[in-house]
Amino acid sequence: MKFTLIKDLNQDPMMKPILSGLLIFTFFYLIADIIIKHYNFGVLPSSISITLFGSEEEFIDPITKSSFLEIWHTDIFFIMMVLLSLSATFIRLTRNNKKNLLILNITLISSMLSLIALSLAFFVSSSFILLYSISLFTWHLLALYMAISSFWNLYNA
Amino acid sequence: MLKSYKYTIIYFIGFSFLLLISATLLFEEKIGFSVKEVLDYYAGNESRFMMQKSALGLLKIILPHIFAFGLFTMVILHFLIFTQYKNTQKIIFLIYLVFITAILEMLSPFFTINGFEFFAYIKLASFFLFEALIVYISFLLFWSIIKD
Repeated sequence: MKFTLIKDLNQDPMMKPILSGLLIFTFFYLIADIIIKHYNFGVLPSSISITLFGSEEEFIDPITKSSFLEIWHTDIFFIMMVLLSLSATFIRLTRNNKKNLLILNITLISSMLSLIALSLAFFVSSSFILLYSISLFTWHLLALYMAISSFWNLYNA
Repeated sequence: MLKSYKYTIIYFIGFSFLLLISATLLFEEKIGFSVKEVLDYYAGNESRFMMQKSALGLLKIILPHIFAFGLFTMVILHFLIFTQYKNTQKIIFLIYLVFITAILEMLSPFFTINGFEFFAYIKLASFFLFEALIVYISFLLFWSIIKD
């Protein structure tokens, strides 16, 4: 990533708008991801449970193993790419202190935990649904903070 | 290299493993790991009520993978620039091998549906070789970070 080699990103006339665009798109991606998940898959434990295991009362079939694996596989790819680019930008634009390092670690650990918890919820036990839901919100909120904080530092640092 | 960059690379390796696990489970669920199952999936099998895949159908399946394979491979390989293996003959060979394996993995089904049954073996071999190469690259990266 070329921007890791430029010394003063805030003063660079090309990198400043490019990174602004990346951060704005990342911000909207994170919001859109939660909205789409809310309507298609569920973000709260009750709705996730219905998607994964179906509901006899509402005549909803459980998700097939094949569909679940497709969703999981796609999610892993998108999360890793979004968080890789966001982390690299965040590291470069914010102060390299303990607080930011902690935020970076919690975001990446909770995102990985959400993916592992989702697979465990489907294959092992429904009790992992709560862990998935919590970690999903945690990494989304922290990633939003990382995007906003990077954007702020791009113009104010 | 900054400490935070090292963390990011380690997490990326973790995500890569999850990606490999999900790909293996998906392959097993949809196709299967025997040559017969690969042939049935792509060339069809009347006794199992499986239709032969069309070229357009295959293209639809590999379309997102063309971009994803390219991006993922580029990202994981470019981390090697920050290691002591940078610009060595072994790594140059590895770079070519990973990209060629990825291309074979994606294109072999097109030969299979056109009667070249041998490409079912290529499909399986390239799938496992690609996974093994990613594990090997991850090991090189992890080892470099630990040693640094």
